[in-house]
Amino acid sequence: MNSSPPNRLRLKSVILCLLVIHAISGIAQSPASYVFWKDDENLRRKYYDESLRKNSLFISNAPKQYAKDYKEIYDHQFDEIGDFWNSKRAVTSPAVNDYLQSIVKKIIDANPVLQNTDARIVFTRDDWPNAVSLGDGSIAINGGLFIFLNNEAELAFVICHELSHYYLDHTNKEIKKIVDLYNSEEFTTEVKRISKQQYGARTQFDELMKKMAFGSRRHSRENEAEADKQAFLFLKNTGYDCNGIISCLQLLNNIDDSSIYKPFIPEATFNFTDYPFKKKWTEKESVLFGRLITDETSPLSIHEKDSLKTHPDCAMRISLLRDSIKKISAGKKFLFDENFFNQLKQDFFPEMTEQQFRDDNVARNLYYSLLMLQNGSYTSLAIYSVARDLNILFQRQKDHKLGHMEKETRTYAADYNLLLRMIDRWRLDEIASINYYFCRQYEKQMGGYISFKEEQAKAVKNFTLVQNK
Amino acid sequence: MKKLLFMGCLLFGMQVLFAQSLSIDNVKTVVLRSSDAIKEGTDVKGYYFFYVSDKVDRKTNEYTLKIFDNNLKPLKDIVFQDSKDVNILESSFNGTDLIFLLYNEKEKTFEYQVYGADGNKKPYSYFRELTKKEKRYLETTYLAASDEDQTYKGLYPVDGKGFISNMPSREDRDYTFQIDYFSSEKKKQWTYTPTEGGKRFIGDYLGYFNGVVFLEVLRFGSLFDQSPDSYILGLDIETGKKVFENPTDGKFRFYPASLSVMNNGKAYLYGEFFDLNGNIAKDKSKGFGFWAIDEKGKVQSEKYCSWEMDMSKFLNVSSKGKIDDFGFMYLHNILQTSDGTIYAVGEGYKKVASALGIAAKVLTRNSGVSTLKIKVTDMILLKFDKDFNVKDAKIYDKNSNSIELQAGSEFMSTPLIGKMVKYYYDGFDYAYTQTNQDVSAFTVCYSDYVKDKDYKGGTFNSISYNEGKITTDHLNTKSNATRSKVLPGKLGQVLVLEYFKKEKKLDAHFEKLN
Repeated sequence: MNSSPPNRLRLKSVILCLLVIHAISGIAQSPASYVFWKDDENLRRKYYDESLRKNSLFISNAPKQYAKDYKEIYDHQFDEIGDFWNSKRAVTSPAVNDYLQSIVKKIIDANPVLQNTDARIVFTRDDWPNAVSLGDGSIAINGGLFIFLNNEAELAFVICHELSHYYLDHTNKEIKKIVDLYNSEEFTTEVKRISKQQYGARTQFDELMKKMAFGSRRHSRENEAEADKQAFLFLKNTGYDCNGIISCLQLLNNIDDSSIYKPFIPEATFNFTDYPFKKKWTEKESVLFGRLITDETSPLSIHEKDSLKTHPDCAMRISLLRDSIKKISAGKKFLFDENFFNQLKQDFFPEMTEQQFRDDNVARNLYYSLLMLQNGSYTSLAIYSVARDLNILFQRQKDHKLGHMEKETRTYAADYNLLLRMIDRWRLDEIASINYYFCRQYEKQMGGYISFKEEQAKAVKNFTLVQNK
Repeated sequence: MKKLLFMGCLLFGMQVLFAQSLSIDNVKTVVLRSSDAIKEGTDVKGYYFFYVSDKVDRKTNEYTLKIFDNNLKPLKDIVFQDSKDVNILESSFNGTDLIFLLYNEKEKTFEYQVYGADGNKKPYSYFRELTKKEKRYLETTYLAASDEDQTYKGLYPVDGKGFISNMPSREDRDYTFQIDYFSSEKKKQWTYTPTEGGKRFIGDYLGYFNGVVFLEVLRFGSLFDQSPDSYILGLDIETGKKVFENPTDGKFRFYPASLSVMNNGKAYLYGEFFDLNGNIAKDKSKGFGFWAIDEKGKVQSEKYCSWEMDMSKFLNVSSKGKIDDFGFMYLHNILQTSDGTIYAVGEGYKKVASALGIAAKVLTRNSGVSTLKIKVTDMILLKFDKDFNVKDAKIYDKNSNSIELQAGSEFMSTPLIGKMVKYYYDGFDYAYTQTNQDVSAFTVCYSDYVKDKDYKGGTFNSISYNEGKITTDHLNTKSNATRSKVLPGKLGQVLVLEYFKKEKKLDAHFEKLN
């Protein structure tokens, strides 16, 4: 969100996975297929309506001066929030939501100042490790973060942290600061002056923007530290182990380099007796600026980059709270249901995987499905998903509609980049052949899986088509 | 097919496109000066966008050279100040280092900037100052060439060592060419410009093998000479000194078009051949020739496939190389795949009567338009085995394209007109050929114009080879965008740039060809 920056617990890019053995839900077909969580649509609509009401309230209560600016920002904020509640990203499935709400209730009950909060806290099927307070009481805890948490105490800290942002009204305060700054005489005069410059206008404008960005980021970091401190105050009253704060922050510090599943090995999955793996699908090529260090790609200096961070360093955050935490008597890591917590962690993976498919991110869906398959988790679902994705890739490539597919990016996990490289290099006949032999390899195992049979039939048709071309 | 009109529209479109303001990242608004693919040989390794990011003073601009990888991910922003008259003409990548050719139109200077694998500019640049004569000559040749076909583009990579530049040149009264070598290992440069024994020289870079730069040279005794000598020139990569200069006469007169190092480690020259006393500039070729050659210029073996004896098994072709309905073949490229098979890529053209020229002649007598015009016809792919025997020939239909010629062209030979269509009229539809690293796959790309029930507009077409199998495909290039441009991408892909005027947005996305 541009105008009202969300208060993130930790925004890190990469997505990772968990070690899973069994699905939580029922068995519908033979072989066993995973049954996805069924969301409570009424609850989702209720949350949407509450956000809409909150948006009207924000606009009507905004300072009269610059009312138009506030309206624009709040409307933009609601665009994001409305989209969120209208999507399938929010998990409102009763069993999952009830579990989350029991922890939320524990926090609220333990902290009288939160008694009247109207916060709407949900898990999401988003796969990046993050949690966010959207500013109007909507709080999202991504599955991509939850799968890395070790216990309820860590989850409770995440909830406390986001609740603190809302309790401390950080988003609205930031909005006010931005509106005041943009309308300040100092700023408008400076913009006017720069726009009249015949020479060097862009450089001066960039400097001004950079200065503003630094200021904004500094406030964000201060907000994060303040939210941590408040979260500690909330958590210590709940009976949860406050060491969960430290372990959670340590976990966040390394989350970019963490992985629970073993990396995807292309030649292990796409190597068939009648259609062997081709090295050229993944072979490395010479690249421009091969020795360029990622950090040097940014024109910003180290000091500048540090100044642009929205969150303080995790080690710094831990050091600010460590002494206070030491003084607290030991709490519990779990107050509700450890088994359910662990099962939930496992089930989030297929849920996030399928969300990628709903969001039309076929490459991610394929990647997660391949990870599940390779690691023996939710195997039937994974096999079906892989076949389905390869058929989609075939059709899109045939129709020249693969153009907007994700491409290799240095910040992505190496094994995901390898898959993207393969997709990029596969020719139409190769996709058809791979899926044909892939389906043939698993046809016995997938005997009763009707959806798989349908995908296999498509794969055979595509294979025949390219063979006859 | 009204290709000229289409090309004209496209070129005009791109000029306008580049003159438009374009928003990139955090830059307020910028004016794009040039953009192109960065290649290592035929392999696209990235893209650059060069724009004026700020005005520093009356004479100076701040420029940003934004470099992306071949997935269009940003790699580096190079920001520098220079004269307001600077533009980037070319780039090339040699597997390690990157070179840009900057041209200052007012000062008449070329500057070659080299960037290392660490993304940093090398502590040296290479400069060339043009005389007025040179500038005028380049304006009619190198600088006049469109970006689209890159006819005169001539910066060739030498693996990890440096770059070879081939550019038309003027030396006193001679019209010649200049070969430069720019080292990327350390500051080292040499220049070679042939002037002896002729008044006009045309040089084609053939390739690099075992420390020697191979060039095919046509030497004309005078500016009006129609019967040039042909010779292969070998230059030492380290010193630029001549290693050999051998006429291209073997069993036949040979006109090599490219050099490839084959799987057996030997270098081979491919091209068309003529009678021993034939005229390369005027006569029709007799077929294709293949010479094995070493770094000393010694020809180790010769092999010829004639239209009359060999190609006629696969095509209805006359002994002079005229193919029914197709006309004569203009050879665009020859390459060898990893299994040793050789493919020649050509395009058909033939002389036909020009109604416009005839009418103009009747009406005005001196119209400036020839009574003949050239009809550019179909694409052709000829297949040879590793022993250079013809194995197949296939014609790929496309809509024909007429090019009106200047008055006097009636008296020119068909091969010479073919060269003019290529270099002067920019009239062929062929765009480029790309191969992958091990040459197990290649793609030939060309444009076309389609007018049928479902679609009327430009198309971008491909003939693709992958592990012995050939497929064809096309993309429709007409879209909702105000203007669009197709740049080469990784093998089998193209980068489609689309400009949406209303949204002031430049969209770039890849499309894969099947």
